[in-house]
Amino acid sequence: MSSSSPKLQIDPYERGWMYFSLGLLAAFAIAITVAGLAMGIQLPGFEQRVDPRTVDTDPNSPWSKPGLREVVPGKEYDAYILAQIWRYSVSEQPAQKELEVPLGATVTFYITSKDVQHGFLLQNTNLNVQVVPGQVAKLTYTFNQAGRYDFICHEYCGTGHAAMFATVVVK
Amino acid sequence: MSEHDDHFKPRGTIAILAIFVITIIILWGSVYLILLQRGATQ
Amino acid sequence: MSATLPNYTHSNSEKRFIGLHLFIGILALAIGSLFGPLQAFEHAGLDLYPYLKPLFQSYYQGLTLHGVLNALVWTTFFITGFLTLTVTHGLERPLRYPKLNAVGFWVMVVGLITTAIPLLLNEASVLYTFYAPMKAHWAFYLGLTLVVVGSWIEGYGFFFTYAAWRKDNPGVRSPFMAFASVITMLMWQIATLGVAIEILTMLLPWSLGLLEGVDPQLARTYFWFTGHPLVYFWLLPAYISWYGMLPKQVGGKLFSDSLARLAFWLFLVLSVPLGFHHQYVDPGVPTAWKYIHAILTYSVFFPSMLTAFTVVASLENGGRQNGGKGLLGWIRALPWGNPSVTAQLLAGILFFFGGISGLANASYNVNLVLHNTAWVPGHFHLTVGSAVTLSFMGISFWLIPYLTGKKLWQPRWANIQVWLWFIGMLIFSNAMHVVGLLGAPRRTPLGLAPYVPEEWSGHLLRVGIGGAILFVSVYLYVVIVAVTAFSKKQTASASEQVEIPVAEAMQDPTLTPVWLDRWTPWVVGALALIALAYGPQLYEQIINISLTSPGFRVW
Repeated sequence: MSSSSPKLQIDPYERGWMYFSLGLLAAFAIAITVAGLAMGIQLPGFEQRVDPRTVDTDPNSPWSKPGLREVVPGKEYDAYILAQIWRYSVSEQPAQKELEVPLGATVTFYITSKDVQHGFLLQNTNLNVQVVPGQVAKLTYTFNQAGRYDFICHEYCGTGHAAMFATVVVK
Repeated sequence: MSEHDDHFKPRGTIAILAIFVITIIILWGSVYLILLQRGATQ
Repeated sequence: MSATLPNYTHSNSEKRFIGLHLFIGILALAIGSLFGPLQAFEHAGLDLYPYLKPLFQSYYQGLTLHGVLNALVWTTFFITGFLTLTVTHGLERPLRYPKLNAVGFWVMVVGLITTAIPLLLNEASVLYTFYAPMKAHWAFYLGLTLVVVGSWIEGYGFFFTYAAWRKDNPGVRSPFMAFASVITMLMWQIATLGVAIEILTMLLPWSLGLLEGVDPQLARTYFWFTGHPLVYFWLLPAYISWYGMLPKQVGGKLFSDSLARLAFWLFLVLSVPLGFHHQYVDPGVPTAWKYIHAILTYSVFFPSMLTAFTVVASLENGGRQNGGKGLLGWIRALPWGNPSVTAQLLAGILFFFGGISGLANASYNVNLVLHNTAWVPGHFHLTVGSAVTLSFMGISFWLIPYLTGKKLWQPRWANIQVWLWFIGMLIFSNAMHVVGLLGAPRRTPLGLAPYVPEEWSGHLLRVGIGGAILFVSVYLYVVIVAVTAFSKKQTASASEQVEIPVAEAMQDPTLTPVWLDRWTPWVVGALALIALAYGPQLYEQIINISLTSPGFRVW
C-alpha cells in the first residue's frame, strides 16, 4: 500500500476555468463594494430596538405620532412610518395615505411595525427593507424627480396584504 | 499514472461555458446598472 | 481494493422502502402543484380561489400548501428515498440498521400528517417560511419538526452504514455516490440546527401558550441559518445524479472524480455560514456581517461553477463517444430520446439561468433591486423548481421502473412532459424576473393589488400562460409515473429490467488524493467557519433577546 497520497490532477482547461471563475467573482465583489462605498448604495443595518407592544402608544415613541418631521426646512426630513395590518400610518390621520415632500428633499425613513412583519419597497428607488416588529429600518432617499412614488408591502402579512401601500408625492 | 483514460480536450465545454459567462455578465450587469440608476440609500 | 463499479442487488423490501419515500413525495408534489397554477392564473387576472371555498379559503392558504408540499415535502421525501438507494448501492451493502431508517421514515410521515391537518384547516396559512409573529397552530410547528427529526434519523442510519463500510474497507476510497450522500445528510444535520432551535425554543412553546412573546428578528436569523443550506440539501442529490449517473446515461465517463469530491467537500464547508444573504435588508443585522456573508456566498458559487465544468465535460465526453463531432455538434449526439437524460439536460439549462439570478440576489446591495419582488420566485422556480425537481423527475423515470420491476410507460410522452416543463418554466420564470424588476412584489395576489400599473399586465399574462403549461406538465408526469408503477401491463421482462446507472470515472478513483476522503479536517473546518460567521451575531442577538412579539392570526 502506497504511503504517499496521489496528487490532485486537474485538467488544464478545468484549471483555467477555476481561476477564471474566481476572477469573475472577485470582479463582482469589487463592483458591489464600489457601489456601496463610492455611490452610497448601502443596505440597511442595525438601527435600534423598540418595543412593538408600545411603539404606537408610548408618548416617547416617535411612531406614536407617525409622519414627516422637518429637519432642515424644505430640504431634509425624517419620516416616521408605522406599518400595521394592513396599512402604513404616515400621519396622525389614520386615513391618510400620502406623504408630501418638496422636490429635491432628502427624506430619512424610520420604519417599524406594531404587529407582524411587513415589507417596504419604494418604487423606482433602492429603498427596500423588511419591517420587523421590535426593530427599526432606516434608509434615506433624495427625491430629485417630481412625481408619485408608491411604497408597497412585499412581505405577506395577512388577508389585506395586497392592498397595503402608501405614496410619497414629490412636488 | 496521471493520464486520463479517454483523454480529450473539452473544447465544447469551454464554448458552452463561454456562452454562460457572457450571459452572466450581461444579465448581472443589467441588474447592477438598474441598481446604480436607482440611486443612493444613505 | 476495487476500481470496479458498485453492483448491488436491492431486496424487495429495500425497494419497497425506497419506493414508499417516492410515493409520498410525488403525492405531495401532485397536491402542492394544484396551487401553483391557481396563483399564476390569479396573477394573470383569473382568480379561481373563490370557487375553491369551502375547501380552501384563500390565495395564501394555497400558497402555503404549495410551498410546504413542493419545497419541503416533495423534496425531503424524494431525497431521503434516493439517498437510501445511493448509499446502499454505492457501498454494496444493506443499511446497517434498517429498523432505524424505518423509524426515521415513519416519524417523517407522522410529522407530515401532523402538519398537514392545520394546513388544510386553514390554521397555518403562514407560508413555508412561517415568519413570526404570525402564529400558526402548534401542530404545524410540531409536524415540521418531526419531519426534520425523521430525516435526521434516516441520516444517522446512513452514517452507521458508511462507518461499517469504512471499518470493513480500510484505505479504500469511498465510492462516490455513497460519499456524496453522506456529505449531503451531514450538511443537512448541521444546517437544520437553526430552524430546530427556532421552533423548539420559541415558536413551539409560544404556539402552545407557554411563551408570551417571541423575538421575530432572532427567529429570522435562526430560520435562514437553515434556509440557505436547505437549497443545497435539495441540490446536492441532483448533483449526485449529474456527476455519478448521468455520464453513464449519455455514454460517457465522469470527467474528474477528484473534483466531484472536492465540490461536495466545499459544499459541506460553505453551505451554512452565509445565511445573511437572505437577510440583506433585515433591520436588525449589521451591514458588516451582511457583507462578510456576501463574500462567503460568492465563494459557495465556486463549487457550482466547478460542477458546471465537470458535468458538461462529462456530457461532452459522452456525446463524442456517440460519434458527435464539432465544437458543439456533440450535443445532438446525446441521447435526447431518453426522457431521464433529457429531463436532466433541460434541468441543467434552466439552472444556468437560475444560478445567474441567484448570483444577482447574493450580490449584497444588488439585492435592493430584487428582495421580495417577483424576481425571487422567478429565481427559485429555476433552481428548486427545475434543477432539482426536473432532475428528480428524470431520475424517477429509471428509478421507479427499477424499484417496481416495470417499464417506463410511454417514454415519448415522458419526453414531451419534460419539454413542456422546460418551455412552461422559461415563460413563467422569465415573466416573473421581468415583472419583479419592474417592482412587482412576491407573495401577493396581484389581481387584488390597487397599485399594479398597466406596464405589468403583459408580463403577468405570461406568468399565467407559463403556469398553465407547467400545470399540464406536472399532471402528465404524475399520470406517467402512476401508470408505470401500478399498471400490470408495464411489468418488465428479465431482459428489460432497469439497472441503476453508475458513472465510471475517467481517472482511476484510487488516484484520488487521500485528503479528499478524510472527514475530520473538513468537518472541523465546516464547524469552525460556521462559528466564525454566525457566532458573534447570534451571540449578540441572543444576549439582547426581546420576547416582545405576541402572536397574530392575520388570515
